[in-house]
Amino acid sequence: MKIRSPKDFWSGLIFVAMGVGFVALASQYRMGDLHRMGPGLFPAMVGGLLAALGAIVAARSLVSDGPAVAAFQVRPLAFGLLSIVLFGLALQFLGLVIAVAVLVLVGAYASREVRPLQNMALAVVMVAFSVGVFVWLLGLPLPLWPQW
Amino acid sequence: METLGNLAFGLGVAVGWQNLVYCFVGCFLGTLVGVLPGIGPVATVAMLLPFTFGLGPAPALIMLAGIYYGAQYGGSTTAILVNIPGESSSVVTTLDGYQMARRGRAGPALGIAAIGSFVAGCIATLIIAYFAPPLAEVALKFSPAEYFSLMVFGLVAAVVLARGSLLKAIAMVCLGILLGIIGTDVNSGVIRFAFGQTELADGIGFVALAMAFFGIADVLINLEHSEKQEVFTSRIGSVLPTRDDLRVCAWSIARGTAIGSLLGILPGGGALLASFAAYMLEKKVAKPPRAFGEGDIRGVAAPESANNAGAQTSFIPMLTLGIPSNPTMALMIGAMMIQGIAPGPQVMTERPELFWGLIASMWVGNLMLLILNLPLVGLWIKLLAVPYRLLFPAIFVFCCIGVYAVDGKIFDVYEIAVLSAFAYLLLKLDCEPAPLILGFILGPLMEENLRRSMMIAFGDPTVFVTRPISAVFLFAAAALLIAIALPALRAKREQAMAE
Repeated sequence: MKIRSPKDFWSGLIFVAMGVGFVALASQYRMGDLHRMGPGLFPAMVGGLLAALGAIVAARSLVSDGPAVAAFQVRPLAFGLLSIVLFGLALQFLGLVIAVAVLVLVGAYASREVRPLQNMALAVVMVAFSVGVFVWLLGLPLPLWPQW
Repeated sequence: METLGNLAFGLGVAVGWQNLVYCFVGCFLGTLVGVLPGIGPVATVAMLLPFTFGLGPAPALIMLAGIYYGAQYGGSTTAILVNIPGESSSVVTTLDGYQMARRGRAGPALGIAAIGSFVAGCIATLIIAYFAPPLAEVALKFSPAEYFSLMVFGLVAAVVLARGSLLKAIAMVCLGILLGIIGTDVNSGVIRFAFGQTELADGIGFVALAMAFFGIADVLINLEHSEKQEVFTSRIGSVLPTRDDLRVCAWSIARGTAIGSLLGILPGGGALLASFAAYMLEKKVAKPPRAFGEGDIRGVAAPESANNAGAQTSFIPMLTLGIPSNPTMALMIGAMMIQGIAPGPQVMTERPELFWGLIASMWVGNLMLLILNLPLVGLWIKLLAVPYRLLFPAIFVFCCIGVYAVDGKIFDVYEIAVLSAFAYLLLKLDCEPAPLILGFILGPLMEENLRRSMMIAFGDPTVFVTRPISAVFLFAAAALLIAIALPALRAKREQAMAE
C-alpha cells in the first residue's frame, strides 16, 4: 500500500482522529432521543460524519495522486508560537510595554532575515503604537507596567 | 417609496458626525492594512476588530463595513501594482491590471478600479435596500426546521463554490461545527469538550480562531517562502482615466455590477465568484475583443465592479437571515454577537437605526473610498515597499492584543497559540479555512434549531421534507452536491478554479 496523495492522506487521518475523539467525548454526555436531544447527540452525529469523511479522504489518497506535503520549517513555527506564549506570560506579570517588546523582538526571529537594529526600532514603534492607540485612544484595560 | 424613506432615515444615522468619522476611519484603516502585501480582507477585519470594541453597535458595524470594503480596494491596489492579489477575489485583476502597470498605465488602472467600485457600490446599496426587507420578512416566518435546512443549504453552497477538494471542505465544515459547540450547552447547562478547563466554558473565542487561521498561521506559512516581486511605484502618472477609457468601460462596469450583485447574494459566492464570472463574461461579450490579458482596461473595470458589488450584496444574507456567506461576513456576525446583538431577521425591525444606518453608510463609505483613494494613491504605494519581515511582527502584535482585548483573559493568548499551531498544520495540508469558520459560526445555531424543530415535531425527522420551504432548501443542497459530484461538471469547476 502506497500513499499517493500525502496531503489528503494526513488530513484524512486528522479528520478521523478529531471525529472519533469528539464522538468518544460526546458519548460521556446524555444522548437523549430525537424528540428530546441530549447534549451528546448532535456532536456525536457531526463527529461521526467527520470521521466518515476523513476515512474517505484518506482512502482516496491511496488510489489517486496528489501533491506532497511541503517540508515543515521549524524556524517560523517555533519562534512564532514562542513569541506569542512569551507575550502571554509577559503581559500577565510584566505589563504591556515589555510584552509587546518581547513579542516583536522574539517574533522577528521567525523570519530568515533578521536585522537586530531594525527590529529594535520596530519594537519601539509598536510599543508606542500599542500604548498610544490601544490604551490611551481606545481605553482598553491593559496593564502597562509590572504589577508589584 | 418606503425604501427611499428608510434609506433617508439610514442616511440620517450614517451622516451623524460620529458615524461619519468611524466610517472614514474604517475606510482609511481598511485600505491602509489591505494595501500591505500579504494581508487579505479577512485578516484585516479580524485584526482591526479590537478597534471597535469600545464603540456602540451601530458605529462598530459601520466602521467594520468600512474596513471591509477599504481592504477590498486595498487588495486591488496590490493586485495592480505588485501582481500579488490581496485575496482571491482580486486574482483576475492581476491579469490585466498588472499588465497595464507594466505598460505605464498603472494610474488609469487604479482610477478605473476606484470608479468602477464606486458605481457598483452605489447600485448594490440600492439593491440591498430594496431586497433585504422583504427577505427579512419572509425569514421572520421561518420555523426552526426551515432555519436548519437553510443553514445546511448555505454551508453546502459555500463549500461547492469554494476552492479545492469538496470532501475536505465538507469535513472542514464539520470540524468547524464541532469546534463551535465546545463550551456550555445552552439547553442542559452541561459544559462540553472543555477538558475541565473553566476558561473553555464560554467556548473557543471566535476572534481567536479567525486570527489564528487568517492572521498568525497565514504569516507562518508565508514566512516559509520568500519571493521578490517587482513593484511599479515610479511610473504611476495621473490616476484619472481618459475620456476614452471611461467610454470603453461604461458597459463593462454595468455588466460587472449586474453579475456581482447577483452572485454576491449566493452563499459562498461573494466577491470571489463575482469577479471571476465578470471577467469571463467580459472576455466573451466585450467588443471589439481587444487584448484581454495584455492590459485591457475593461479587464480591470469589470471584475473590480463585480467584486465590490458582490462584497456589498453579500451583506444581504448576513443582515436578513443571520447567515454568513463568506468568512468576512462570519466576522461581522461575530462582531455583532460581541456587541450583544443576535443576528437574524429581527435586527431590521428591532434595531432599524443599525440596519438602515449600516446600509446607508455603505454608500457613504464608497464615496469616501473614491475621495480617499484617488488622491492618496501615492501614500498607498509607499506602503507597498514595507518589507514583510517588518510587517509580520506587527500582525503578531495586533492579533495578540486583539485577542486579549475581547475578554481581558490571558488564557485567550495561549489559546490563539494552540489554535495557530493547529491552523498551520491544516493550512499545510491544503485544508481551506473558510468552510471551518462558517461551520464554527453556524454550528451552535444549527444544533439549537435542530433540537427545537425535533422538539416541536416530536422527534419526527420527516419534518424537514414535509415543510415545503425546508424541503426546497434541502433539495437545492442535495442537487448542488450531486451536480458537483458528476464528472463533467466537476471538470468544469476545476477548470474555472484553475483560471
